[in-house]
Amino acid sequence: MAVTTRLTWNEEKGLQRLLGNVSLSLLYKSSVHGCSIKDMLERCTLQGSTVTVIYLDKIIIGAFILGHYPQEDRDFEKQTSSFHFLFKKNTTEITTAFLNTAPKITSEELTFYSSGYNKIFSLTPHKCHFFLATLLAKILKVRPGVFGYLECEVFRVEGIKDDGGYIRRITGATERRSTLLAELRNYKPYADLVSEIHILLLGPVGSGKSSFINSVKSVFRGHMTRQAAVGSDITSITELYRIYSIKDGKDGTSLPFMLCDTMGLDEKEGVGLCVDDIPHILKGCMPDRYHFNPQKPITSRHPNFTSPSLGDRIHCVAYVLDINCINNLTSEMVVKLKQVKEEVLNSGVAQVALLTKVENYHEVLQDNFLNMKKSVTSQSQIMEVQKILNIPIYNILLVDNYASDWEPDPLKDILILSVLKQMLQAVDDYLEDLPPQRTDEVARVSQLSICD
Amino acid sequence: MAVTTRLTWMQEKKLQNYLGEKQFSLLYKASVRAISAKDLLQTCYNQGPTITVIYSFDRILGAYIQENYHENKPVRITLLVLEGTEISRCEIGPRLPHCFYCSWYDRNKISNFLIDLSEKTVKMSLGTIKELKLPENQKISFQECEVFRCEDLLDTRKMKGVTELRESLLSAIRTYKPYRDLVHQVRILLLGPTGAGKSSFFNSVKSVFRGCVTHQVLVGSGTTGTSEQYRTYSVKAENDGSPLPFMLCDSMGLSEEGGLCMDDIHHILKGHVPDRYQFDCMKPITQTNSNYIKFPLLKDRIHCVAFVFDANSIENLSNEMVTKIRRARRETIKCGVVPLVLLTCVDSMDLIRRGDIIDIYRCTPVKLKMEAVHRELGFALSDIFVVCNYTSEWALDPIKDVLNLSALRQLLWVADDFLEDLPPEEIDLKWIPFARPVRLSEFSVTP
Ligand SMILES: Nc1nc2c(ncn2[C@@H]2O[C@H](COP(=O)(O)OP(=O)(O)OP(=O)(O)O)[C@@H](O)[C@H]2O)c(=O)[nH]1
Ligand SMILES: Nc1nc2c(ncn2[C@@H]2O[C@H](COP(=O)(O)OP(=O)(O)OP(=O)(O)O)[C@@H](O)[C@H]2O)c(=O)[nH]1
Ligand SMILES: [Mg+2]
Ligand SMILES: [Mg+2]
Repeated sequence: MAVTTRLTWNEEKGLQRLLGNVSLSLLYKSSVHGCSIKDMLERCTLQGSTVTVIYLDKIIIGAFILGHYPQEDRDFEKQTSSFHFLFKKNTTEITTAFLNTAPKITSEELTFYSSGYNKIFSLTPHKCHFFLATLLAKILKVRPGVFGYLECEVFRVEGIKDDGGYIRRITGATERRSTLLAELRNYKPYADLVSEIHILLLGPVGSGKSSFINSVKSVFRGHMTRQAAVGSDITSITELYRIYSIKDGKDGTSLPFMLCDTMGLDEKEGVGLCVDDIPHILKGCMPDRYHFNPQKPITSRHPNFTSPSLGDRIHCVAYVLDINCINNLTSEMVVKLKQVKEEVLNSGVAQVALLTKVENYHEVLQDNFLNMKKSVTSQSQIMEVQKILNIPIYNILLVDNYASDWEPDPLKDILILSVLKQMLQAVDDYLEDLPPQRTDEVARVSQLSICD
Repeated sequence: MAVTTRLTWMQEKKLQNYLGEKQFSLLYKASVRAISAKDLLQTCYNQGPTITVIYSFDRILGAYIQENYHENKPVRITLLVLEGTEISRCEIGPRLPHCFYCSWYDRNKISNFLIDLSEKTVKMSLGTIKELKLPENQKISFQECEVFRCEDLLDTRKMKGVTELRESLLSAIRTYKPYRDLVHQVRILLLGPTGAGKSSFFNSVKSVFRGCVTHQVLVGSGTTGTSEQYRTYSVKAENDGSPLPFMLCDSMGLSEEGGLCMDDIHHILKGHVPDRYQFDCMKPITQTNSNYIKFPLLKDRIHCVAFVFDANSIENLSNEMVTKIRRARRETIKCGVVPLVLLTCVDSMDLIRRGDIIDIYRCTPVKLKMEAVHRELGFALSDIFVVCNYTSEWALDPIKDVLNLSALRQLLWVADDFLEDLPPEEIDLKWIPFARPVRLSEFSVTP
């Protein structure tokens, strides 16, 4: 008769992940504590956010309530972000339905009302049955109606953000993630001007260039991959110029965009990436795996120096900066960044800034994931970047790489994919805007590389 | 408004261990919900063992009831006082549960232990106070009161989950195939300071697949290194005896003086060093060594490197050692291999119990160790994995296996990343029978 949940360990983990890596504490279990609404309320009132779970033969249905449990016979409180989910036993795939509802306790029921005062979902503990309205049943892909259940449990959810928007985002994350993945899988460069987009990452030592590449690869791969070495040291960990293609799944096809990794910039001269290497990289003369020499740039005499017309020309430069260091950049580093910027301007390619190590990464995007929130907490850093690099705000992108954790996180994935999508958008704008003869030139280059 | 306990990780862990590897589920917190003793008891009935925790300044007072209880059942209470890291105890009862609470109408009730929720005080008899080694003050005021249910840290539900996870990891690793079948077995090199647990990690992995604990490789006890030969170990599948798709390569430990030669690392990575090569800490292997593999194939090379560190000594690495590790890492990256970290010996850290290993990455002191590796040695946090080796046990423990197998699976993924990223000229032309695989060696001989 121990008070232990009926969820298997695996199901419990799945639920914790769904709610964003929270802890669950079992507060009430009907078979032990009694089946009346009073038994339930005695243990669940004023316990913070909770999830109420009912068990059927083969499925488990749950309702999350943000903030305290409703109290008996109170008037309607304002609607909160409750949501419902369903999973089949012994799987970890969870179907979720986000609805703004108001939970209310009436004499013997816990009922969730939608804005139109419609009953969406209700529990009648003393009868061990529940009601599922058509609206909700449709989203959860089950039949609507009144059914019996075997047991009901209530857990307190600890470690969840007390914010309706956050709940909306984590419940919508899986779906948005698949949409974004599909969009990027179908991406074709603007008007087929080039066959592959090359995005070059430039930035100070340790700013997260290599981690970003790993992160993008990991999202498409489905688990953590580590092709680029990352870490911190006094000088750059990355010593080779690397062009990474992005594969779609194991053994999958390569997607039409490449990420190019470089040695980090150092504020001192003769250390870190040589600014004079940048024009060669931009023109596509720099061979893959070229060993950077901080003291002097590559020359055309290098045995693998690629001829510019055939090479991997860069279409977009991303300035990668650690968001936590932006307000403390030394004046030498600012000078260096401006030199780099100068070189990039000469080639006229698209430019974005990528700010990494954003701790509150789940708050960057709007609840519908379509835009960056106006009120992002990193305003001052964004302004600073805009000032130093003169990049419009819509091209200042925020991300958190897979660097402190390797557990898949849909919200993190969404931000990584959104950032990538935004980079490709910037490239398309650039390609569309090319003067006609340059367009020819770019087109010719791509033709040649296809023949190659 | 968040309902979370006020106990620190250390305090909670102290109490849990004292009560015999428990975990706590917070049922009630006074500052969030002020209720009468009657309602509070209603919440605690039929919850199994519970502990009421009272916070009085720097002192924590716990009232533990081991039995499941209800209104009409007299119970014994174990009183605990946690002060700093010291715990003292005393037993009282048996009495009916409501007798431990003071209600408004019997404020002057006499008892050797009485909680007054509305006044926020605890009254104790002189005897109790003495036994608990408290200052002689019969009325203690408190700031907060919480009640927890005490569950077993490890129960059959969790063990079942762990066993299932173990099976799925085992089968994932058994059926792993190196990228594009470029090699049959990927080679994982274990590097790290002397006594870090490299050989033990091999023993642990071998044990899981053998189905019983083996101590094939001699492991160390003192401070001087144990492994002096380069050994490459293959592991056979338990059922059909076929070799598993990976090999573990055990090297001599790094040490401030002596130990593995830094120059040997390059030769090992490139596949020049033969199995059973006797390391010489004074000088690295050379081409003239009789068994030197002059023309290693892709299969002879190292595809994945794990740096092994003992969690308990990570903060005490000498500067020389840190420099050596950083150099070894550069060397690894230079050979195209991304190194990972395995952190051993977390099981012998203070307060960590077997049940904690299930959720080891959530344990505060383990997180601190990982951060120390990140800070001192510059490895990314996402590249650090906790493992737990078999040291003295005779029987397999699925909890340890799950941790070790999860790390092993990550190592195999890294090997795949390496193989996928190989430059075309470094892939063996194995479909041409007598193709001289010189390309590889031309790349690998150091000037
Ligand atoms: N928390 C967090 N850490 C990050 C992030 N990106 C990178 N890091 C950490 O920062 C350190 C440096 O990251 P790298 O990706 O190696 O940086 P890099 O720009 O490639 O550096 P170099 O190649 O040395 O110039 C590593 O320890 C990463 O784990 C991020 O988005 N969030
Ligand atoms: N408690 C505990 N002890 C461990 C663990 N791993 C290794 N040990 C102990 O650490 C000591 C050294 O282990 P070895 O495996 O010999 O270390 P090594 O890295 O091979 O050392 P060398 O061969 O000398 O370089 C032995 O006494 C092991 O029992 C672990 O995970 N937990
Ligand atoms: Mg790098
Ligand atoms: Mg050894």
